[in-house]
Amino acid sequence: MSADEVAPVPERRRTVRNEPAGLGRNLASLEVVICCGSGGVGKTTVSAALGLAIAAAEDKRVLVLTVDPARRLATALGIKGIGAEPVRIPKARLRRAGIAMTGELEAAMLDMKQAWDRMIERYAPDRATARRILSNPLYQRITDSFVGSHEYAAIEALYELHDAGEYDCIVVDTPPSRNALDFLEAPSRLTDYVGSRLLSLLSGGPSRFGFRAMNFAAAPFLRLADRLLGAEVLAEVSDFVRQLQSLYDGIQGRARSVYRLLRSPQTGFVVVTTLEQGPFGEAEFFCAKLREFKMPLRAVVVNRVLPDVFRDTGGVAAATTLVEDPKVAAWLSSELGARVSADVARFVGTTFLNRSTLAAREARQLSKLSRLGEVPIVRMPLFSEEVSELEGLVRIAKAL
Amino acid sequence: MTAALSLLAARAGKRVLAIDVDAKGDLAAALGSPPAGFAPHVVQHNLSVLELRTDESFQEYLNIYFKVPRLTRLTPLARVFDFIATGVPGPRDMLVVGKIAYEERRKEPGSGSPVWDLILVDCAAGGQVESHLSAPKAMLTLVRGGIIRAQVEWIAALIRDPLRTCVVLCALPEEMPVTEAIELHERLRNGSGVAVDVCVLNRAVDEPVTTAHRRLMTELIDPEHADVVAQHLGGSPAPLDAGLDLQAHLYDTTARYARQLRSKLPMPVVAVPFIMDRTGLTTTRAVADALSSRLS
Repeated sequence: MSADEVAPVPERRRTVRNEPAGLGRNLASLEVVICCGSGGVGKTTVSAALGLAIAAAEDKRVLVLTVDPARRLATALGIKGIGAEPVRIPKARLRRAGIAMTGELEAAMLDMKQAWDRMIERYAPDRATARRILSNPLYQRITDSFVGSHEYAAIEALYELHDAGEYDCIVVDTPPSRNALDFLEAPSRLTDYVGSRLLSLLSGGPSRFGFRAMNFAAAPFLRLADRLLGAEVLAEVSDFVRQLQSLYDGIQGRARSVYRLLRSPQTGFVVVTTLEQGPFGEAEFFCAKLREFKMPLRAVVVNRVLPDVFRDTGGVAAATTLVEDPKVAAWLSSELGARVSADVARFVGTTFLNRSTLAAREARQLSKLSRLGEVPIVRMPLFSEEVSELEGLVRIAKAL
Repeated sequence: MTAALSLLAARAGKRVLAIDVDAKGDLAAALGSPPAGFAPHVVQHNLSVLELRTDESFQEYLNIYFKVPRLTRLTPLARVFDFIATGVPGPRDMLVVGKIAYEERRKEPGSGSPVWDLILVDCAAGGQVESHLSAPKAMLTLVRGGIIRAQVEWIAALIRDPLRTCVVLCALPEEMPVTEAIELHERLRNGSGVAVDVCVLNRAVDEPVTTAHRRLMTELIDPEHADVVAQHLGGSPAPLDAGLDLQAHLYDTTARYARQLRSKLPMPVVAVPFIMDRTGLTTTRAVADALSSRLS
């Protein structure tokens, strides 16, 4: 099958709805849910919790695909480890953690090397070319170093999994990236890279006589490159890019198919952010880009929001008095009938005021949420315990 | 943290260059400056900042070492260079390291003394810094001749020299950043061979909630005094309990992750308290003060 031909998606399993709730229900009709956001906002946890919420709400087979090699997701899901092969989360374990599952939940971690190797094998015109590329020293490093290589591998793996039709819904935890836009641009960037005329120039293009004979204008570059790098390097690079170019048609076709999937109504983007300036600014930018690319934003999850109690005006007034009134300790000692030190009173007030300052700042950011788009916005409270086990994840899934 | 360390070094009389590898303007903003651009920009006495961009790095590299005139992005030759710089693995990372190495080598035209006493680099995320630092080593396997090889050898030696180059690991007291810091140290040690001298645990909560604090809280909300206390304080103190709970949790978390870092990393772990202000020069100064007291 050529890459331009998109295989028909197998008919998915019939679903039985069961006590749908919140965002899980809203997203349950989708086949692909892509969680995006800048690093450190809790994207992996939200992705896992979303998978859990969807599989709890409906009789669906849900896969959470993470690219994060940290053991956190495995720990949170109560399993020993996650590899490239999907692992099923036992229903009994989930029940014990407090959630009854209607569907099934599986988790897998992206194997970068494998995803790249499979791509080369798929698009190479023949096995010999594939072998040459796979054994090229430049290729060995490209999977780690190519701009957006993680993003491309993630999107490639997603497309393959969706195409296979084994899952009703795939939730993707996108790669940690300061610029989440890399994820959207990965397919076109790779196409541009492999198909660029520059590559033709380096690889010798259609000329059987190669680079030097083909383009007289490139002579200064060639001389400079020889002087800089040594002639061997240019020859190696040239050889490598010539091989890569044979993949162009396949990669271009796949990029088109991937964009069709990303823009389709079966796909939904969920932007995860905190209310800190940096991540929030990136979320705003990312939502705007989704609109520009005509990709469907379905929800925004605002993570780690301080509880409303820190905006309580009475609490703020009481805390301020404890911090600022020099006589308050003496008054309290007299009124409460026990000695109260000024330091202790100040500490109790300060711990609250510090958080209320942050909460006030968050409130100002919350008022800007509508800028992100007219979609459901879910606020996740800052839990006072870390999500390091299944019970914590279940609590978040229920909050979603 | 890079901005705070830069301020501290400048205060100590060093001529400091702070470099932002991500070129998003965060470092300049933390030093109270507008976006800096590619050339060093003075933000205060003894302290300059610059932002790295790969394409400009490459062109400057060619300009400095090979007298190739700066090219506009539109010329075919410039695009070929762009391709090499951004498409082929190795050179892209080398340019980042190469620009930093160039600044390290720069001399005052008159005296011939180094322009900078200290260069502080705000690196990209964990995965990228590893490829930046190991790029010279990788390039040496790729470039077996040509002028660049000598440059790369010099840069590789600079990175491996513990008297001239070191890494400061930074982590937050959360599971993921702590795990990443430990794993990054392992990879750096095995990969680039760069010295990792210290780990900073930022946003640490280091004041515990004691029984005295809890006792006062219990008394404040005791129904026997609650009304009169609320009246005197100007509001009910009941919500303050949430502040103590969160403080206690964050203190425990900080202590746990500080222990984990200290047990896994063969270097000092310095905890710097959470500064509540917005990002900017005021916060950077506060972080620098906290860092200074911890380091001394």
